[in-house]
Amino acid sequence: MLFNSYEFIFIFLPITFFIYFYLNSKRLITLSKAFLILSSLFFYSWWNISYLPLILISLVFNFFVGEYIYNKKYLLSIGVIFNLGLLGYFKYMDFFIENINLALDKNISLLHLALPLAISFYTFQQIAYLVDSYRGETKEYSFLDYTLFVTFFPQLIAGPIVHHADMMPQFNSSKNMVKSYKNISLGLFIFSIGLFKKVAIADSFAIWATQGFDVATSLNMVEGWITSLSYTFQLYFDFSGYTDMAIGIALLFNINLPKNFNSPYKATSIQDFWRRWHITLSDFLKRYLYIPLGGNREGEVRTYLNLFITFLLGGVWHGAGWTFIFWGAMHGGALAIHRFWQNMGFKMNSILAWIITFNFINISWVFFRAKEWGDAIKVLDGMFFGAIILPTALSSKLNSLPIEFGKWSGIFHSSPEIIIYLFGGFIAILALKNSMELKRLFRPTPLYMIWTLLSLMSIFILYRKSEFIYFNF
Amino acid sequence: MILRYESYTKVLISMFLTTIFGAVIYSYFFIQNYPIPITNRISLDAKIGFIKNRVDRDRVDTIIVGSSIGLNNVAGEVLEKSSKIIDGVLNLSVYEATSPQIEQVLELTPLFPNLKRVIYSAQFSDFAYAGRLKDFDSRFIIDYISGNLSIKDMTSFYFRSCQNIFFCIKRQWSWGREHQNSNQFTYLGFDKTGSVPLGIYGDDIIKSRWENPHSDRESDYAFRALDEIAKKLKEKRIKLIFVMQPYREPLVKKFKHLKPTMERFESRVKSILDRSGGEFLNLHKRLHLKDIYFADRSHLNSKGAVISSGEIAKFIDREVKR
Repeated sequence: MLFNSYEFIFIFLPITFFIYFYLNSKRLITLSKAFLILSSLFFYSWWNISYLPLILISLVFNFFVGEYIYNKKYLLSIGVIFNLGLLGYFKYMDFFIENINLALDKNISLLHLALPLAISFYTFQQIAYLVDSYRGETKEYSFLDYTLFVTFFPQLIAGPIVHHADMMPQFNSSKNMVKSYKNISLGLFIFSIGLFKKVAIADSFAIWATQGFDVATSLNMVEGWITSLSYTFQLYFDFSGYTDMAIGIALLFNINLPKNFNSPYKATSIQDFWRRWHITLSDFLKRYLYIPLGGNREGEVRTYLNLFITFLLGGVWHGAGWTFIFWGAMHGGALAIHRFWQNMGFKMNSILAWIITFNFINISWVFFRAKEWGDAIKVLDGMFFGAIILPTALSSKLNSLPIEFGKWSGIFHSSPEIIIYLFGGFIAILALKNSMELKRLFRPTPLYMIWTLLSLMSIFILYRKSEFIYFNF
Repeated sequence: MILRYESYTKVLISMFLTTIFGAVIYSYFFIQNYPIPITNRISLDAKIGFIKNRVDRDRVDTIIVGSSIGLNNVAGEVLEKSSKIIDGVLNLSVYEATSPQIEQVLELTPLFPNLKRVIYSAQFSDFAYAGRLKDFDSRFIIDYISGNLSIKDMTSFYFRSCQNIFFCIKRQWSWGREHQNSNQFTYLGFDKTGSVPLGIYGDDIIKSRWENPHSDRESDYAFRALDEIAKKLKEKRIKLIFVMQPYREPLVKKFKHLKPTMERFESRVKSILDRSGGEFLNLHKRLHLKDIYFADRSHLNSKGAVISSGEIAKFIDREVKR
């Protein structure tokens, strides 16, 4: 079930909300938690019920291993291998076979396994739980609480990646069992912003990104840049919109999910970017990969290598494909270079730093989005070596230049709407407050009421309904 | 003014539900009065509604297809009156339709059990591009027009059509301004056969459309689609009459590329019809229409459409009858 669907907004969410708080009001706390778990599993199974046994096996296994894991390294190894094995089998097996076939000139049949929804997210959450249990950093949680922590539907499908230490106390706080109008009003506000971002903005950019990446056979320079920028904006508004909706929905149940975005495209360095983009993933990678690899404690060269390995694996986590691995390597490499730059004590003008950072990110997303190498090369070729075609209206003023005039973005029907959207996109990412800043500013005034209502009107354009990009990871 | 959170939440939810209720009422009004979004073309949506509500499908024995050259240049009512053998005409043309799109539209022929002939009215410029209609589901449209959709399917269809309420509002707004004035090339005021005779005369004529010719571009895909149309109609024993409509003679004389382009077009179409079935009528050569009958370089005004239709009727009575 998608957050931006009628069945979710008008049926699933209200029913779950009312029954959950009704059971709480009757002091049937265990039952209310069980109901929330069942609702979450129903929400999860809506796409494909065949995914359900896998998540149930995974959470039962991890809970019981977590019970006995304290200081037992072999159990930690078994637990991590089980989780990574599950993820590897379902997500990477076909990629692995394809490459074996290619390298050894074999013809091993692909498994064509359907990727179980959310497997990357719940695997990471549970590995974190096992590691912390091994270190003795977890408390004694009941199976019901643990199951709720893993399956709580607002964060189940595409995060934010939540940590047991943040979530468990909230599920057990008696204050959170009571319906809170403050949280409802704030939750609706944040949800409506997310819905608007997804439906009105991201899905518009998606049309142009798809046209450029998947439909066009070649791109001129303007088309190349429109394509890459469209995807850069689509991804941000899609994923941050999803996160806002998740945060807003969780707030209705008095649960605070962690912040996942903080105006990432305002970043003036790649390090700054990763402190603002998908923050919960960055935290996870830092805590459970970069630091165990040695972090910055084992000399400069090793630090560069650790950064590179961490982000290379971050790329692998995002998808089974060489383009994702290359994307991860680009970011790992950029982080290592940035650290070297810092160590040398070099400084850079902040505007120039922003331009370099934004363009690096924009170019790296080309690899992230491309289904094939050829698609990425096509877009990059258009961006840097494509023909320059300007609108015919400019021909009288610029006819002395060796430039072609005509359909400046033929594949997009030279629609001025694209330019307006891109301009608006830059204003939104650079000049406007992000949703978490707005969350802090929120007051129950008529202004916010109208704002929420107008944003909720996005439900009238749900006809373009599409899945969220991060459901694939 | 800061409200109590409880009041704020209740007022907000009330306003939201009221808006939803208002949207439902508006959707009902829209469905009753404006073309329901079914395809991505308003002229086709309007035509689907027209066939459903105003056409006696059993009477239709002749269908006109084409782009605006079919919609504007052939007056179905004149055709019905002028011909001795034509009983009922339906103009199924769609603005800017390419031949692959016409091939798609002709999937609706099972709706007309007594169909005997299809008149494809076109000019060479219609064969410059070859796009297809997006999301065109002929099975669904046939069921919709025939009234064979279940209440559940019908409700679901209305719901889907009105989901984008902003689009519906935009369509309602543009309907009166852009599609109800006979002096515009977006006119959709159907006569009783679904034709749209243009009332573009004198000052209404757009200079750029009047003076500039089409390019000589042609698409092989478009001709291939015509071949498919001819074959499919032959299989169904439906006669295809391809009518090449008039072009402004002064332009043909002035721009050197036009005459060879038109001759090449005629030759390619004739060879397809010879091979796959169909008759060819060149109204440009036959009528030599004066400028007073044109709305632009290739579209006829309502008077021109009368002459064109009369000639098509004569051709059908004389030559196709045999």
